[in-house]
Amino acid sequence: MSSVQSTALDKRQGFLKIVLASPILGPVAALLLASIFFAFATPRFLSGDNFSLILQQVMVVGVLAIGQTLVIITTGIDLSNGMVMALAGVLIASFAAQKGINPFLSILVGILIAMAFGMLNGALVTGIGLPAFIVTLGTMNIAYALTRIYTTSTITGLPKELTFLGDTFKIGGTAIANGTILMILLYAVTWFVLKYTAAGRSVYAVGDNVEAARLAGIKTNRVLVGVYTFAGLAYGIAALLQVARTGVGDPQAGQTSNLDSITAVVLGGTSLFGGRGSIVGTLIGALIVGVFRNGLQLMGVESTYQVLITGILVIAAVSVDQLTHRK
Amino acid sequence: MTTKAPGKVLLEMKGIGKSFPGVKALEGVNLTIREGQVHALLGENGAGKSTLIKILSGAYTRDEGEIFFDGQLADIKAPADAERLGISTIYQEFNLAPNMTIAENIFLGHLPTKAGRIDWATVRSKSRELLDSLDVSLPVDTMTGRLSVAQQQMVEIAKALNRNTRILIMDEPSAVLSERDIDNLFAVVRRLQAAGIGIIYISHRLKEIFELADEVTVLKDGRYVDTKQVSDVDMDDLVKLMIGRDLADVYPKRKAELGEVVLEVSHLGQAHLAKDVSFELRAGEIIGFAGITGSGRTEAVRVIFGADKPTGGEMKLLGKPYRPTSPRDAIDQGVALVTEDRKRQGLLLKLQVYFNTTVSGLQRLTKFGVLQLKDEQTLVKKWIKDLRIKTPSPEFMVVNMSGGNQQKVILARWLSLGIKVFILDEPTRGIDVGSKAEIYQIMSDLAEQGVAIIMISSELPEVLGMSDRVMVMREGRIVKVLDRADASEEAVMHYAVGHDEAIAE
Repeated sequence: MSSVQSTALDKRQGFLKIVLASPILGPVAALLLASIFFAFATPRFLSGDNFSLILQQVMVVGVLAIGQTLVIITTGIDLSNGMVMALAGVLIASFAAQKGINPFLSILVGILIAMAFGMLNGALVTGIGLPAFIVTLGTMNIAYALTRIYTTSTITGLPKELTFLGDTFKIGGTAIANGTILMILLYAVTWFVLKYTAAGRSVYAVGDNVEAARLAGIKTNRVLVGVYTFAGLAYGIAALLQVARTGVGDPQAGQTSNLDSITAVVLGGTSLFGGRGSIVGTLIGALIVGVFRNGLQLMGVESTYQVLITGILVIAAVSVDQLTHRK
Repeated sequence: MTTKAPGKVLLEMKGIGKSFPGVKALEGVNLTIREGQVHALLGENGAGKSTLIKILSGAYTRDEGEIFFDGQLADIKAPADAERLGISTIYQEFNLAPNMTIAENIFLGHLPTKAGRIDWATVRSKSRELLDSLDVSLPVDTMTGRLSVAQQQMVEIAKALNRNTRILIMDEPSAVLSERDIDNLFAVVRRLQAAGIGIIYISHRLKEIFELADEVTVLKDGRYVDTKQVSDVDMDDLVKLMIGRDLADVYPKRKAELGEVVLEVSHLGQAHLAKDVSFELRAGEIIGFAGITGSGRTEAVRVIFGADKPTGGEMKLLGKPYRPTSPRDAIDQGVALVTEDRKRQGLLLKLQVYFNTTVSGLQRLTKFGVLQLKDEQTLVKKWIKDLRIKTPSPEFMVVNMSGGNQQKVILARWLSLGIKVFILDEPTRGIDVGSKAEIYQIMSDLAEQGVAIIMISSELPEVLGMSDRVMVMREGRIVKVLDRADASEEAVMHYAVGHDEAIAE
């Protein structure tokens, strides 16, 4: 169609389009509406302590979703993140609590192992050209099996360095977890990288069209391996948060984290077709899930129904996305 | 073109108008189509051709005007109305199910039944008949996904004929075809014409209009300009009607001040596609690569750009050995390629104008690791202004722009990098005449600034109008080098499709 006409259409739909097409405003509106609903539905929802609790409940999935967002922007998907997190978490806990290794060194090794998994995912996606779905399905199972081979029992008696991120400090009577601050910091760094660096731009370019990006001079393989490795870093940090929050090394952790993180990303307005998405949106998406779970819990709704409602939410969000971006 | 008695009027569109909120897309457009007539619809991108076609095929409804079909008032409100009248459209993007056979596609949605079961015997025999009438010998149970673009087009035409089409609208049918396939398409169009079908033919290629059409209607900025008998006008007249400017201005005159040798290519090979390609390119020179599709031109330049690995030969850039390991490497050494397929290999379609403009030169906009977004804005706005890129803002998605403006965005991407060797593969394909002229001017200006240019083009007038030297490629080899003075369409075509003695030279 001619550019004259599409401009006119843009003008007509001006306000509506901005709200619907902006990667952030839609999720923000959903988050506000949900919060208003729960504020009226249950008196305990609207309190500083409850908000702090929601943030603590979302911090693990929230950090996993950072890696997931980047992977999805490049048209990939990462099914392995929960299992990689469980493996890294168990190793960190075991090294520090059972093997007597320096806690900080344990953390470093755990994170490096998570990054190695990410790098392996990236290498298989670029080197052999396998679909991300298959590659990460494979590494998900590998990480799961390795965790179970290492241990099937929960690791307790962790040193305080490993639980520090689960500790809280008070601001005006509201307890805030250290891990929450780390999560927000990680979001800020990722946001900055995506918006203000050449590397961040490359992620979007590769996601829009990998061949066109290569012919525009982007080292696409390097970008993809970088994205998966960075995602691995996020999963390693999520492992630390998981350990800190629960106070144990749990080989059962992260069983549904891959789908939970995808839910957060999708609710945040990132397109599964690649090239379009926002990291701030993902944070909002994670908060939407957190608010729903928390609010429904306060209302006394059974956890099975919470899952049901989350499922409906995802389909609704993707439908709205699809309808507003259809050409 | 033969002169013949005008057929009966099939369709009359009178005073057609269509508004989209805020803009008049069409105003007072008239179109009359007769039986057995090829009627060309001409206009730049955004002139309103697509809107008019969509009104006729029922995809849009008109706001003003009347449509008469067979002399009767016809109210086309939905695609089904158009289909009932016998109006079929073949869009550039085909509407075929790739995992179904030719026969299934021809009868898609209209499968005949016999006693409640699909009558496959009729489907197959009727499909065979239709294909035969188009001189297509393919088996009717071939999957359409395995057909070439030209063959798929024939299936589309067969599909239209199966629906008792009386008016066939063809939207740039030749844009996706090679020269040989175009000849075949023309033969089919003439056959349909002889069968009394009225054909609305949209094309950017003026030459085709003279070869094929009886009448031509020109639109400009959504308004009706004029309808002419093709025999009464020449190319200059049509260009003037379309853009209000002379054809002589399309190819800019320039003095070729050739400088030192910038690029030396010797015995370059790429698999079986390009063999033994050798030439020298000087600063300020424009070399045109002519040849039919598949002659190895694209393969050769992709190697020069580092997109593919060579299988033989060597290159020198400014006297030093040049062997790019990736497009990035080539770009860093001052070589750029405007790809043949703008939408799949050039643009990041769903990203913005600014993104596409600066994506290859982000390092230049980075200070202490941080992208300077303000500098980027300034740079992008400068290019939008300099190249007259029509866009509401730098944040506009390029997928929504016209072909000419998209191509200018790609040019801006490379121009902002200060390149030495600029390779353009089919730079004006699918682009309106106005933007074409601007692109030629940009190329000409670059050459004057000492940039060495390689242009691949399948449009001979363009090759002849722009090049200092024309290299004719065939079957992976440069078979002839023609100087500007010796180059004529006949000479180029002779070598492009010629026989073995030409290779021996």
